[in-house]
Amino acid sequence: MIHPLILIAVFLVSAVLGYFIIRTVPSLLHTPLMSGMNALSGVTIVGAIVATGVAFLAGDGLLAQLAGGLAIVLAAVNVFGGFGVTHRMLKMFDKKKK
Amino acid sequence: MPALQIIISAVLAVLVLAGISMMSRVRTAVAGNLLSAFAMLCGIVATLLFAGVVSVWTIYVSILIGALVGSLLAVRVQMIQMPQTVALFNGLGGGASALVGLLSVQGDAPFVRFTALLAVAVGMVTLVGSLVAAGKLHRVLPQKPVVWKGHALCTLLFLVLTLVFVVVGTFAQGAGLTVCIAGAFVAASLFGLWFSLRVGGADMPITISLLNSLSGVAGSIAGMAVGDVFLVAVGGIVGASGLLLTQIMCRAMNRKLMSILMGGTMTPSVPTPVIDENENEELVQRIMDLEKKIKELEAMVADLEARVKVLDGQLNAAAPAPVEEAPTAASVLSKAKDVIIVPGYGMALAQAQHQVRQLADKLESRGARVRFAIHPVAGRMPGHMNVLLAEADVDYEKLYEMEAINDDFKNADAVVVIGANDVLNPAARNAVGTPIYGMPVLNVDQAPEVIVCNYDLKPGYAGVENPIYSRGKGVYLELGDAKETLMRLMAGIA
Repeated sequence: MIHPLILIAVFLVSAVLGYFIIRTVPSLLHTPLMSGMNALSGVTIVGAIVATGVAFLAGDGLLAQLAGGLAIVLAAVNVFGGFGVTHRMLKMFDKKKK
Repeated sequence: MPALQIIISAVLAVLVLAGISMMSRVRTAVAGNLLSAFAMLCGIVATLLFAGVVSVWTIYVSILIGALVGSLLAVRVQMIQMPQTVALFNGLGGGASALVGLLSVQGDAPFVRFTALLAVAVGMVTLVGSLVAAGKLHRVLPQKPVVWKGHALCTLLFLVLTLVFVVVGTFAQGAGLTVCIAGAFVAASLFGLWFSLRVGGADMPITISLLNSLSGVAGSIAGMAVGDVFLVAVGGIVGASGLLLTQIMCRAMNRKLMSILMGGTMTPSVPTPVIDENENEELVQRIMDLEKKIKELEAMVADLEARVKVLDGQLNAAAPAPVEEAPTAASVLSKAKDVIIVPGYGMALAQAQHQVRQLADKLESRGARVRFAIHPVAGRMPGHMNVLLAEADVDYEKLYEMEAINDDFKNADAVVVIGANDVLNPAARNAVGTPIYGMPVLNVDQAPEVIVCNYDLKPGYAGVENPIYSRGKGVYLELGDAKETLMRLMAGIA
């Protein structure tokens, strides 16, 4: 288990770094940025995988496994849908430039 | 092992950040998005290995189902539906985080219980709030703010209850913990419902940005509960980005975030002039004077009209009067050399972005310079107009942010407004007490010729009349469906 303080530090550092990098994105691209971020928020799929896997291996009840499976499905929709939509939008912006 | 895991997670998080920074330029944005997606894929594989769950087959089945549904949605969805799509995906992410919290809440350490409960709470707020937002944007729920009895109080109450359940649950065991989980789950859902229902259409960009931020935070907290560095890091990045966008949107509308969430939203209050007795009598006297004068003037006008009639008769007898053609919207555009187009949510509703581009093309082929002025909160999500115009193949270099183009309105030959109202309402500068007071607006009123292609003249979402409409001189109102209006305009440009 990773120490809670490390986790909190990771959260703070990445949030600050993210804040300053995202500030460079012009408002022209704010919708794709947002939908890209949205796709990234599906990263919780990683947590869902861990939780489901642990429940499965520990032989937990069907309910826990179903909940985990559902979490993975929801997060996967978020990830694939999000990146797909973002890709479509960005390609629209770019197509005029040769 | 944890050391290696932290290093790999850090590398992947840096990859994600690099991908995002590539999204700051159109040329590199596509690659940036793919880089982020690639980092995410690596993160998933790494997690499978580190958590030792490679052998769990149900994981792959679930991913496959989600991937199929998500990809199908991504391909099918129309650009016009983008705001609700983003909101929907966002909610799903929040829901997944809440489930992860539920699954890991039975841990021994208080830190795990606390973060798991918090993940449940933030995840449920995100899920319910996003679903309501998506419903409003998809027009299955009322666009106007829904306010129930004691709304602000209930919202606050649910928020406090959620926090209480989370804190108490951290130190609870057994049945007490179960109660706290259920309590946090329900209270957070109710909070999400209450706060999102009272948000109206024009505040949506702010709400979506905020929910986006929340979904990241929910993920990050869930990551703390399961001890996954990559999840914590990326969740933190998303949380920060959403917060930044929320800030930008709030500043663009001169609104306080709290007032949008907690109430006082968009109640168009007309400032009632305060008149004391003395002043009142004076006013009555002046009104009577004015009425007298008006009567005198009316008499004079009638006299003049009679004379004009006589003269007209003489003129008609002599020669047919030369007809000076009154300028029309089309004739103004035919002559204009410098045109600024101002799109708004109405353009999105009418799906008129293709016609807008055709109009721009037509004007350009006649040698005019055409630019687009994009208000930061035009539409229903940050950057909404840019996406629609990009869909219609408008070169992004012609899209100007408000600060970049606001000084040019007075020199433009013509301004074409398409389905925009509040973002160009000059009343925002001086109508104290109205919801839009103090909001930076596009200086459309400084333009000599303004063509308004709006559906009607009703006040916009903020409920404040737009004085441009009644300016009379140099304003051409082309009302109705923007698609048809634009077709007519184009046909009229000789």
